[in-house]
Amino acid sequence: MKNMKFYGVGGQGVVTATKVMSSAVSLYEDKYAITVPAYGHERRGAPVYSDIIMDDKPITLNCFVYHPDVVIVMDETVVDKNVNIGAGCAEHTILVLNTGSREKAESLACQFGFKEVYYADATHIAVEYIGRNIPNGPILGVLAKTGIVSIESIETALIDFFGEKAGEKNAKSARAAYEKTAKM
Amino acid sequence: MAHYKMLDGNTACVEAIKMAKVKVVSAYPITPQSTIAEKLSEEVESGALDAGYIRVESEHTAMSCAVGAQLTGVRTATATASVGLALMHEVLNVASGCRVPIVMPVVNRSLASPWSLWCDHQDSIAERDSGWLQLYCENVQDIYDTMLMAYRIAENPEVLTPIMVCLDGFFLSHSMQKVLLPEQAEVDEFIGEYTVNNLKLDPEDPMVIDNLIGSDEITEMKYQQAIGFEKAHDVMLEVFEEFYQKFGRRKALVEGYRTEDAEAVVVTLGSMSGTAKYVVDQLHEQGHKVGAVKVVSFRPFPAKELRELLSGIKKVAVIDRTTGFGGEGAPMWVETKAALSDEYLVKGYIAGLAGRDIHTGTIEQVFRDILASDQAGEKPVWIDCNTEHAMNIREVNKYV
Repeated sequence: MKNMKFYGVGGQGVVTATKVMSSAVSLYEDKYAITVPAYGHERRGAPVYSDIIMDDKPITLNCFVYHPDVVIVMDETVVDKNVNIGAGCAEHTILVLNTGSREKAESLACQFGFKEVYYADATHIAVEYIGRNIPNGPILGVLAKTGIVSIESIETALIDFFGEKAGEKNAKSARAAYEKTAKM
Repeated sequence: MAHYKMLDGNTACVEAIKMAKVKVVSAYPITPQSTIAEKLSEEVESGALDAGYIRVESEHTAMSCAVGAQLTGVRTATATASVGLALMHEVLNVASGCRVPIVMPVVNRSLASPWSLWCDHQDSIAERDSGWLQLYCENVQDIYDTMLMAYRIAENPEVLTPIMVCLDGFFLSHSMQKVLLPEQAEVDEFIGEYTVNNLKLDPEDPMVIDNLIGSDEITEMKYQQAIGFEKAHDVMLEVFEEFYQKFGRRKALVEGYRTEDAEAVVVTLGSMSGTAKYVVDQLHEQGHKVGAVKVVSFRPFPAKELRELLSGIKKVAVIDRTTGFGGEGAPMWVETKAALSDEYLVKGYIAGLAGRDIHTGTIEQVFRDILASDQAGEKPVWIDCNTEHAMNIREVNKYV
């Protein structure tokens, strides 16, 4: 079983990212993944999170993720809004980060104790490929680089979710992010 | 061929409603609604669902329209949640009293006050005596399957009783899960065409229904409804078996998980049931003989099946996702207690109100407590609750 926690701010498509990721795993990799979304009084710009539980067999567990194996941060400013992205993390927990800056990745890894970080500027890539600063497609490309899901499954799931036209752009943005991802 | 799709609980309801070919949808599309009403309107707009859509001005009217429409001889659909269900209360009793077998998904969400968006079972449990059957779902596949079976159960001429298919708000309504969907032809074969029984509204052949009835008749009519619930029990068993034969997934009125040789079990309702199974597996690895029991049908309550399942298990912990204010226990505890003799230790726990997570730690805590208990106590245990300082929250300190 792998548990994932996605952090971001309202308007970034955090819940959509988890929906696409769970589809990629469930429909194209013969595994199982459920989303456990945390809906609240969110507004654009406020911190949000959403969880995924993933396994090789059908999942019975249905509660929030308290001990993530992968933490995905779509906007690092959530840290300044009192969100503890290191909550419940273990030695092996991987950080997937939306930043192009190695310094930023290093400082967050150090602050929250992550040993392994995958990062790329997903927002910049989204603007470049989709024309909007919504990084949910590209961040899934970065996530694919960890090996938890294949980039092909992510591409297919994005096209399936957003439809042919918008999906193609999203899939390209995910592939670009996958190729630009740096590991630390 | 059946095929896999990723659906959330709301969409699973919509898929089932669509495949049941309802002819009228009446819904009130404002909070606390779910996306069920919204997605149904899209299906009608696109022509994928050949139905009339009535956008009404309240849930009271949503149910009134559903009752009226179904009495003309077609399947209808509506959906609601939380205070929306509460506003339907009067007409729920009309639907059941007129024996109109409406199938309605209820997204379980807390009742005000204070206002909440999130999951608990206050809303549907408060409608316990409204004359509706109530089935609770564990996961999204279960929602889809239960919806299909619900048409067969409610519409059976011996039952003719409306049914709520209850799905936990957010934990199921908004959780994306992999669902195996059958083909339309298979669903057609399983559900069949709707045929109106007993009461019918037809301008060509007028009939007065739901009029003022004297005391002489009402008790007998209520007794007939009670018989409908008894029949529903047997019809459910038949429908579950037929569904299993056709689709390969088994359902029961109450389901046991690793109950053989269990020293203690936890009795659950809804989405927490899956988490309970997960915890049972983990505790088995640590050498604890524990099991889980999921109540699927709250109305009719399967007392006989529960008694058989719990036979010989001395300690029974019941988790209610509702308050049961002022009672010796909350509603699920009351039912469980009534089903068992005094030899059983049946202890009540209250958890998961207004979306408070029932996580692995919650269930573990319940197991730890029941395994260490030798008596039930005089009132339910509010697990995961800061009972020591609870009053601080409500103290008004503006003028202090």
